[in-house]
Amino acid sequence: MPQRLHAEFVEAVGADAVASDPVALRSYECDGLTGFRVVPSLVLVPRTAEAVAAAVRVCAKHDVPFVARGAGSGLSGGALPVADGVVISLQRLRSVVEIDVVNRRAIVEPGVTNVDISRAAAPYGLYFAPDPSSQQVCTIGGNVAENSGGAHCLKYGFTVHHIHSAEVVLPDGSTTVLGGDSPQLGGYDLLGAFIGSEGTLGIATRITVKLLAKPAAVKTLVADFPSVEQAGDTVSAVIEAGIVPAAVEMMNALAIKAVEAAVDAGYSRDAAAALVVELDGPQAEVDAQFAQVKRLCEEFGATKLRIPASAEERALVWKGRKAAFAAVGRISPNYFVQDGVVPRTQLATALTRISELAAGAGLRVANVFHAGDGNLHPLVLYSEAAGEHERAETLSRAIAELCVDLGGSLSGEHGIGTDKVCSMPRQFSEDDLATMARLRLAYDPAGICNPGKLLPTPRLCGERPGVYQPHPLEAAGLIERM
Amino acid sequence: MAQEISFTPSTVEQVRAAVADTRASHPRLLVTGAGTASGWGAPAEPADAVIDTTSLTGVLKYAPSDLTIAVRAGTPFTTVQETLAEAGQRVVLDPARARRGATIGGLLATADAGPLRTAFGSLRDLVIGTTVVLGDGTVARSGGHVIKNVAGYDLAKLFHGSLGTLGVVAEVVLRSHPLPPAMCTVAVEAGAVEAFDLAGKVVMTGLEASALEWSGGRLLVKLEGTPEGVEQRERELCRLAGATARVLTAEEADAAWAGVAAIADGVQGTTVVRIGTMPAAGPVLVTRMVAAGAAVASSMAIGVHTVRFAGGDHDELLTQLHAEFGAAVTVLRRDGLSADRGWGPPPAPVRVLQAIKRQFDPAGRFGAGRFSPWLEDEERAS
Ligand SMILES: Cc1cc2nc3c(=O)[nH]c(=O)nc-3n(C[C@H](O)[C@H](O)[C@H](O)COP(=O)(O)OP(=O)(O)OC[C@H]3O[C@@H](n4cnc5c(N)ncnc54)[C@H](O)[C@@H]3O)c2cc1C
Ligand SMILES: Cc1cc2nc3c(=O)[nH]c(=O)nc-3n(C[C@H](O)[C@H](O)[C@H](O)COP(=O)(O)OP(=O)(O)OC[C@H]3O[C@@H](n4cnc5c(N)ncnc54)[C@H](O)[C@@H]3O)c2cc1C
Repeated sequence: MPQRLHAEFVEAVGADAVASDPVALRSYECDGLTGFRVVPSLVLVPRTAEAVAAAVRVCAKHDVPFVARGAGSGLSGGALPVADGVVISLQRLRSVVEIDVVNRRAIVEPGVTNVDISRAAAPYGLYFAPDPSSQQVCTIGGNVAENSGGAHCLKYGFTVHHIHSAEVVLPDGSTTVLGGDSPQLGGYDLLGAFIGSEGTLGIATRITVKLLAKPAAVKTLVADFPSVEQAGDTVSAVIEAGIVPAAVEMMNALAIKAVEAAVDAGYSRDAAAALVVELDGPQAEVDAQFAQVKRLCEEFGATKLRIPASAEERALVWKGRKAAFAAVGRISPNYFVQDGVVPRTQLATALTRISELAAGAGLRVANVFHAGDGNLHPLVLYSEAAGEHERAETLSRAIAELCVDLGGSLSGEHGIGTDKVCSMPRQFSEDDLATMARLRLAYDPAGICNPGKLLPTPRLCGERPGVYQPHPLEAAGLIERM
Repeated sequence: MAQEISFTPSTVEQVRAAVADTRASHPRLLVTGAGTASGWGAPAEPADAVIDTTSLTGVLKYAPSDLTIAVRAGTPFTTVQETLAEAGQRVVLDPARARRGATIGGLLATADAGPLRTAFGSLRDLVIGTTVVLGDGTVARSGGHVIKNVAGYDLAKLFHGSLGTLGVVAEVVLRSHPLPPAMCTVAVEAGAVEAFDLAGKVVMTGLEASALEWSGGRLLVKLEGTPEGVEQRERELCRLAGATARVLTAEEADAAWAGVAAIADGVQGTTVVRIGTMPAAGPVLVTRMVAAGAAVASSMAIGVHTVRFAGGDHDELLTQLHAEFGAAVTVLRRDGLSADRGWGPPPAPVRVLQAIKRQFDPAGRFGAGRFSPWLEDEERAS
């Protein structure tokens, strides 16, 4: 980076907030998707929102690409640096500015971790509902950028349902506020469109989140099943009975083995599938529906029901489930996490096809899913040392694209980032993508805000973005691509 | 100017054709639904042609087990609810305009919602996919048919509240919810301040009320769920609320909620506005509005207030509200306002709104005037 430019960044954020030595730069070369690595030119670690804006102004003035970064726990390469660009880390902006008990909201800086919001709110009987498994480390800024979900989003929704407003530094370095004090605000829903935009429309520097009252009652059960299909049918039966559980999670045999090896959370090591169902709400509602869920599990062939007797025991169940990704490291040297979504009624078909694909590739796939909303996390296990990388990557992509073909989506919560950008034409037509690009142009005409992510470019994905071709089922009018 | 004509497309393709074919002959278009919100926002300027969506109807795909339904945007909301009810489901939205035939597209374009907004939000929170037609004939889809989906930008959000100024919403995919087997409404006599406190207590006790609406000196609390659950919560609520709490009969409840809807509807000669505030600022505002002779329905727990003024000229009142609440004030009915009365101070990101308008509708074809004066330059861009 030219000396003059370096000096301008120093002036913008202060010398102690600029890192340029090779070792420091290296530690920002990737996020949770470690297969992609790019060393940035400079890393900025500003202490204030004003400094973030000043840094972006320097970028805008000199057309320097920038990438916002929270905890770097993203799984789609969203925070992957750009070679000639700067990384703006929000790690030092981590204070909980205010807990407003009366209005049930918290004002926080973007680097605050997800779990720290709930921790700060807990003394008032409040909490922040979105609960990604990575909640101990991931930041609220990252959650907003990815529209992160969690185990409990079936009932409570995603990050987009829990944000009142966000102060945002736009790609030209000016600051604005999206959203307001209440949902009632004239004009297009700019906040809604910003949430889930993967750091491509600006940098959130202050976020007002909604806090919910803790539910009056919570009941959880773990049910073992002889097959994933039976577990899947149970989920459908629960939903069809008109119950909206707080969470419905499923793990297959391989995932259970991994979790037990790592955490000892009390799952049955010999079960082919385990279902975790949690209900919460007013006591009488929970009691009535819990009885119904138990009955349905038994009816659909559950071999064992385990009902945690205390909050601690319940926490252990969740600890096991939330540790699933990491735990897979115990049974395989390397793995890819996939994040496709299928209509829930296609769950059984999707699982069968995934097994076939895995068998064809000669690789193992552990499965963890948010079963209630059809969000699959197949974990493709492989060994880098044994030269399986490419085969695993191909399998992983085939699984994501299978989800699209079954009427679903490439991503339920981890985002498109760098990882799936070249698969986007599989889900969206050229016109769809060109229209999305109009939104990006409105915010970032210079193309400096997290370039290369989310929307395919000819440079990244070949001469032309892969041409949209209707799937045979779509052509036959059996499925629709939207 | 070309003579005004009206198109009544019944498919996305026909919408596309109508929009694309009129680029030269009829550059300025007005998108209309059932006409239940023609007064919303600022008055639309005369257009060269109308895209009337009332024939753009029909359920495209309903998958009850997946809790999703895809419809053409001109489908009346009540038709959607009837279809869903047959399978024991609903879209959890209760806008006043539904009774008057409001369309799904019109509800999305106006960001409208009723008392259930307290627990379930508005269409913003329930739409999972859209197909839109832009001024150059581009047909674009975003979202999809699955509840959970973060692939690509969520364009439906931009059309939420767009008042027909970005393009035509042609198809919409919605998330459905199971119909609760039981429900009841409890009315508690309370002034605005007490009602706000009580609403807070109801939320903090985890009673999961679906609606907490203050209107006409009482707080209406809607409870929905299993028969056992509703009964228990009803008792707990009455204990919490004290002597003036009363469980309404089904007929009384219907009448009470119809009264709330009537405020948003307005009648001849009234002006209706919706104002957003911090929840805690609600009691002061609504007390003041009531003192000024207005009828008010207030979603106390989230700070959304619908206010209806009767009799005469309301320009001065609107000026005051604009000064205080800025872009959080939307006009729903404008009988007491001067004809050219537009929006108040713009929201902070007005430049972004303008840039989006320029990107999506560079020729300024759609809904000129609706966001006056926020988008004026963009509308003249052509
Ligand atoms: C073990 C594990 C489990 C996970 N489980 C879940 C899960 O259950 N659900 C789920 O949804 N995700 C999950 N994730 C993914 C990840 O944790 C989330 O996407 C999270 O929101 C990322 O937050 P972060 O702070 O790490 O963001 P980063 O990885 O640093 O960045 C992610 C994206 O956000 C942008 N960004 C970051 N901060 C800002 C800001 N302030 N303003 C604008 N853009 C910004 C970046 O540019 C990048 O595009 C998991 C990840 C791991 C490693
Ligand atoms: C006798 C008469 C008097 C009239 N007086 C007035 C008047 O005083 N003021 C006035 O403004 N108009 C007036 N009109 C015009 C008429 O009301 C329009 O037909 C009206 O705008 C249509 O209703 P609507 O679209 O607002 O209804 P809604 O369906 O409720 O639509 C509300 C808003 O959403 C937009 N919209 C609806 N559907 C879609 C969609 N699918 N995609 C994108 N956007 C959509 C509309 O553009 C509008 O901004 C009058 C018409 C008649 C016949």
